[in-house]
Amino acid sequence: MPRVQEKAKILENHREAEGIHRLVLYAPRIVPTARPGQFVMVRVASEGSDPLLARPFSFHRLHKDDGLFEILLRVVGTGTRILSQRPPGTAVDVVGPLGRGFTPPSGPHETVAFVAGGIGIAPLRALLDELIVKTHKDHPERLHVFYGARTRSELVPLSPLKRLGVQVVVSTDDGSSGEAGTVVEALRRRYEGTLELPDRLYACGSLAMQVSLARWASGRDFPMEMSLESMMACGIGACLGCALPALDPDDPQAERYVHVCQDGPVFDPRRIRWDKIQPIMARPLTSVSP
Amino acid sequence: MGQNPTDHGSAPDLRVTLGPLQLANPVLTASGTFGYGLEFADFVDLSRLGGVVVKGISLKPRPGNPPPRLAETPSGMLNAIGLENVGVEKFLTDKLPPLLKRGAVVIVNILGNTVEDYAELARILSGASGIAALEINISCPNVKEGGMAFGTDGRMAARVVAAVRANTSLPLITKLSPNVTSIADIARAVVDAGSDILSCINTVSAMAVDPFSRRPKLANIVGGLSGPAVKPIAVRCVYETLRAVSCPVIGIGGIQTALDALEFLVVGASAVQVGTANLVRPTSCLEILDGIERFLRQQGLGAITDYIGTLDTQCRFPFADESCPVGIA
Repeated sequence: MPRVQEKAKILENHREAEGIHRLVLYAPRIVPTARPGQFVMVRVASEGSDPLLARPFSFHRLHKDDGLFEILLRVVGTGTRILSQRPPGTAVDVVGPLGRGFTPPSGPHETVAFVAGGIGIAPLRALLDELIVKTHKDHPERLHVFYGARTRSELVPLSPLKRLGVQVVVSTDDGSSGEAGTVVEALRRRYEGTLELPDRLYACGSLAMQVSLARWASGRDFPMEMSLESMMACGIGACLGCALPALDPDDPQAERYVHVCQDGPVFDPRRIRWDKIQPIMARPLTSVSP
Repeated sequence: MGQNPTDHGSAPDLRVTLGPLQLANPVLTASGTFGYGLEFADFVDLSRLGGVVVKGISLKPRPGNPPPRLAETPSGMLNAIGLENVGVEKFLTDKLPPLLKRGAVVIVNILGNTVEDYAELARILSGASGIAALEINISCPNVKEGGMAFGTDGRMAARVVAAVRANTSLPLITKLSPNVTSIADIARAVVDAGSDILSCINTVSAMAVDPFSRRPKLANIVGGLSGPAVKPIAVRCVYETLRAVSCPVIGIGGIQTALDALEFLVVGASAVQVGTANLVRPTSCLEILDGIERFLRQQGLGAITDYIGTLDTQCRFPFADESCPVGIA
């Protein structure tokens, strides 16, 4: 798939929840080949050299017929603050589509769980959009969405998923909306003690969520993909800065570094050496470093 | 472009000669910022570049440092990748052939733990066809072996260069570290040992800390600083190097625009390497090359060699940047 450097015009900028913005960008050269789970590098500085580096954002929604994509960003530092303040009509340098996207389900018979912690909803929404109109058009009830945030004000609206027949479980850590507790606890309540398990699981969220879900996943052998993040400079496999320790697929006894930008950002969480990752690593792809 | 009254009819001559190395233009990529070149093939016609300096290659594959390997600093980037690379064998089978097929002028950056490693690499790479030059990395600040022990000691640096020289007839570039008391001393030592060309600078040894977690931002604790923040340091190093030796010098450090590149060229660098800018904007090198060509036209210069090394060290008013024509940067 050709990767493209393009000046993308910001058409809309909405505040979706506390500290979370949704940007709609026009990028007719990037969008046609884009896949859910892939990402773009967005340059923050409009001129000059500070902040120097571009930031990675996964596709939140893809509108292929219109040449549009959306990103969902949480303001965590200077770069994301500048982007969140960009008015419609301005342009940003974007490189994409980058990385490996989600592997779609093999057919409508699969029950599919989506586990989104906070801003981790960003890449999962693009995949949900796709499955709703493609594989699971006639079986939206087999799509199970678990979406959690710290508190009610940080939840992004998920309408019209429920109306379409998708099963949605919302949770907040403080119980201010939906079930009380973490999203992984909500997932366990749904499946544990029943004979039913999803046939496939997709996830994205905080490091705490990733670790907790990876622990739940170990010993279960259904397909599972998690969108990860790492500090990244280029997004195209050149700088090798976004390394994460992982098991070598060719030799499970051996370990090697994988690179989030080209081996991922979507990984089987059971391959990642979570015990060797420091807390400042591996935030969800949408809530990049300052 | 064609309507510009200051334009010359014919395109300016961008060719440069660096000792035994002749290049179609003075814009090269800096090692470690352009992968093995192929990563950029979607964005850049690799045959248009003056040269592609590939990621540092060692005898055996290297896994690199634990993460975090990167941090952003004001107008700069701090890295401690740890010289992760595929090793020379895989480079020759998997990376070099497609790179040459795309018409790239390939310069191989080499690094080793010992003097013998460098000699062996020179021997192996001399046996491959199509390589334009070797760049000796004696200046990576991020790994214990990684060269900097060689690059900060004139006698050790000379031993490495002499060992490589004895094993290859390829043009030899030695990449110098700015993390020394006198870059001129190191420059003289490696030129005496047989280096045809010098490139400077490698990254500046640096550190950044998160005040909340009280932890360094890199797992390696210290790393190498690159990007616009280091450009004035690099320009000074090129200036001092050129005063110390008579061999050609390639300027590296914080070049983002054509004007940045021209700064090095006017000081006397025969060519430049663009580094961190490639990571930020994959098309940077070609934009810089086009900008240099526009500059020469606007200045009415027929060749880049008419501009290289024309520094006027008598500082006068007005400063050049106040009379800079638009459309160069």
